[in-house]
Amino acid sequence: MATYLEFIQQNEERDGVRFSWNVWPSSRLEATRMVVPLACLMTPLKERLDLPPVQYEPVLCSRPTCKAVLNPLCQVDYRAKLWACNFCFQRNQFPPAYAGISEVNQPAELMPQFSTIEYIVQRGPQTPLIFLYVVDTCLEEEDLQALKESLQMSLSLLPADAFVGLITFGRMVQVHELSCEGISKSYVFRGTKDLTAKQIQEMLGLTRLVVPVQQGRPPQSPEQPVISSRFLQPVHKIDMNLTDLLGELQRDPWPVTQGKRPLRSTGVALSIAVGLLEGTFPNTGARVMLFTGGPPTQGPGMVVGDELKTPIRSWHDIEKDNARFMKKATKHYETLANRTAANGHCIDIYACALDQTGLLEMKCCANLTGGHMVMGDSFNTSLFKQTFQRVFSKDINGEFRMAFGATLEVKTSRELKIAGAIGPCVSLNAKGPCVSENELGTGGTCQWKICSLDPSSTLGIYFEVVNQHNAPIPQGGRGAVQFVTQYQHSSTQKRIRVTTIARNWADAQSQLQHIEAAFDQEAAAVLMARLGVYRAESEEGPDVLRWLDRQLIRLCQKFGQYNKDDPNSFRLSDSFSLYPQFMFHLRRSPFLQVFNNSPDESSYYRHHFARQDLTQSLIMIQPILYSYSFSGPPEPVLLDSSSILADRILLMDTFFQIVIYLGETIAQWQKAGYQDMPEYENFKHLLQAPLDDAQEILQTRFPMPRYVNTEHGSSQARFLLSKVNPSQTHNNLYAWGQELGSPILTDDVSLQVFMDHLKKLAVSSAS
Amino acid sequence: MADLYVKPGNKERGWNDPPQFSYGLQTQCGGPKRPPLTRRVPAPPDGAPQANSAPPAVPAASPPKPVGLPPLALCSPALRPAAVKQAADLAEEECDVNVDDVLDPLNETLGMCRNARQKQVCDDIGRRLAVFREMWLQGKLSAPVRKRMNILVQELQRRHWDLADEIHRSLMVDHVNEVSQWMVGIKRLIAEARNLSSGDMDQAAEEVL
Repeated sequence: MATYLEFIQQNEERDGVRFSWNVWPSSRLEATRMVVPLACLMTPLKERLDLPPVQYEPVLCSRPTCKAVLNPLCQVDYRAKLWACNFCFQRNQFPPAYAGISEVNQPAELMPQFSTIEYIVQRGPQTPLIFLYVVDTCLEEEDLQALKESLQMSLSLLPADAFVGLITFGRMVQVHELSCEGISKSYVFRGTKDLTAKQIQEMLGLTRLVVPVQQGRPPQSPEQPVISSRFLQPVHKIDMNLTDLLGELQRDPWPVTQGKRPLRSTGVALSIAVGLLEGTFPNTGARVMLFTGGPPTQGPGMVVGDELKTPIRSWHDIEKDNARFMKKATKHYETLANRTAANGHCIDIYACALDQTGLLEMKCCANLTGGHMVMGDSFNTSLFKQTFQRVFSKDINGEFRMAFGATLEVKTSRELKIAGAIGPCVSLNAKGPCVSENELGTGGTCQWKICSLDPSSTLGIYFEVVNQHNAPIPQGGRGAVQFVTQYQHSSTQKRIRVTTIARNWADAQSQLQHIEAAFDQEAAAVLMARLGVYRAESEEGPDVLRWLDRQLIRLCQKFGQYNKDDPNSFRLSDSFSLYPQFMFHLRRSPFLQVFNNSPDESSYYRHHFARQDLTQSLIMIQPILYSYSFSGPPEPVLLDSSSILADRILLMDTFFQIVIYLGETIAQWQKAGYQDMPEYENFKHLLQAPLDDAQEILQTRFPMPRYVNTEHGSSQARFLLSKVNPSQTHNNLYAWGQELGSPILTDDVSLQVFMDHLKKLAVSSAS
Repeated sequence: MADLYVKPGNKERGWNDPPQFSYGLQTQCGGPKRPPLTRRVPAPPDGAPQANSAPPAVPAASPPKPVGLPPLALCSPALRPAAVKQAADLAEEECDVNVDDVLDPLNETLGMCRNARQKQVCDDIGRRLAVFREMWLQGKLSAPVRKRMNILVQELQRRHWDLADEIHRSLMVDHVNEVSQWMVGIKRLIAEARNLSSGDMDQAAEEVL
């Protein structure tokens, strides 16, 4: 068993790929009987500090419909200087530069350890990165001040040759001209009228320029007029003036009468930002960064009216079809998001307010373009400030952890087809022989555009086995998938990363145990969860839960060992043992349950769930719980009420929250001040240990999580109590007398009850 | 080089606001020192936690009983003390650097730039240096800022542009409310001095050829 776990881990580290199945069922029929689809989590730019990029172009298969990249799985005839494509079997000549190759003198891309390889290619002009700040000025003074400082600070963190621009909005929208001269000018737009891209470009005086849509253009090439320079300037040139301009920003001057919301023209401001970039820098890495402190209240994209007595829509309103502006606003932002994606730009949303800000309507702006979504209470919080700083974080080589304008192309061997992808991407509608007719997620294509990505951005990619049952694959046959990611590196270089993987086929009738042993339950849980969340975004919640339940029951029927109608005989092998509990916690998670969350919060949680890598996604599904005691190093414990013990400290990581919980006795000792007595130094260290561990998580997590320091009986303990499996509740009294764990006041089903039902249904001969 | 400390978050404005890490801590290389806490325990097959799965190390105390004492024992090596300064320690540091010791080299560098760079840019930098001086003299700059500005200037004099730039960045991140008005002038000065020196080198190289 350890060997498969090692295999899975090695593959993830080297290729950034985790498959639900690592031995593949060799026919369509058998594959559908596996319940969990053949799929993978793919992290295109997984950090590989040990992988220096090569400085030449990849060699492509000459068949026009294939164009797969030469890789270690290709058969090579070194004497004849020929290679056979492992996807379409085309025989190809090596290019002249490869004349010197031999068995002992291989180019990197043929060596097995380079199943993932990155090429730096010299193609097209290099273009700078662009950052366009879109700033809400309807903020409280304290918030505006903090935001201004964060923006000023960011000028020091941006790449020195980056271009930067500024749009501010309140009732009006102001596009600021940035110049080195002392006078600052701006163009003012009404916030109520939607303008077409053409109108915006005309009004900003950008129309003299006919921009070729196909390629980025160099900003400083002499024949181009310096149109863009008025609004977008290199940061090293205008940093002093922009610092002053930001410093002088005032709150929106329009009076807001009592009982009203400020008029906030977010929809028009974003529209102008998108139009400005569309007209000046199409197909160049660019970030629109929206900072907003409340919901859009006027013009296209308004989410709520300005009357405070009318609250912003809730789930209840949405269910009752009572959310007046939702559909229209969503449509406005979807149009903008699609235009942005078509231009290869991305939109970040930093929303800091205590009430909702309209993330539900605006979510597509970040979701379709790979932009960030950050939700905080105020701009004057460490949560916002540090999250924003981390947007500009660098790796140990001093490279920014951001990349732009990526296209991910997937190629498969002929027994496989591509059903779709789920992640921060849009379809490029590239049809081809390896595209399936059945869609899972965003399908009907073998290419997706990811306008912005970082080393953790992860797509779920779903496949379909198409090999017919009566056309067996020869013993020892392997299926292959190639992922080709072309992108603009933060250094503005064009790069291509190629990952080629292969897995064995197995006949599911005679070799089911091989397929079973190679099941990656963690990857499977996340991939199924992504499908569930993708459905939840479009369908009713209960239907999604029922669908997940049905899938789980079918999986248990297929892979459990049991005697018919005898639930006690039910067993799952090690490779499936965690899967039911992942599903149990997923059902309770904020990704599928909207109870107790606002529509904005649900959008926020789902946004992050659909892009994080496997480890982080799994933390979101089933939070991690560690227990600290005097008896030894911290140990992972069951996410269960029985783990809440009086003499323990617990550290829980839910991705969005880090919770430290002191057990009852520990809390009493702390109140008594034992940690300050020299003879109880070990107690002091015990209290400190989870703080240090929490700190390490906090130091790297993006976005910055909330940090809850609580103890037994405190109201904030609810964050822990709501996540643990309620194995002891007020309903099962047997636990009360015992000194084990902590009963939870809930009517929620416990894992035990869930498992009992699951077993009954799985072994039932009726189903 | 940069300070390493953790400040508490802003609980007034943010619900459960996380602590704030200094620039130095955030950019520390080497990644996490300990293995990440990502392990899980599989639930028993029937989903019910076993009664003896976690035997308490000391007798657990329930409310009615008197609370026992924490065990007296040597510190477990697994629970090691923190290596990071808390923000409180920091305020006590003092800095007895004279403003002119910091400002003179900056003005000198600016003087060198004046011959080669646009007047307006240099005037702008000069204005910011004046603001910097003013704030220093009025006692508006905290000790860590003054201390690190002193180091920044030393690095500038040694022509360690990257180091000087890095200190500027750490000051911008850690103390933006104190430095935002004038630090951009220092940033530009570092950049101009760097350009100037590489220009000199080019010129020198040309002369050699």
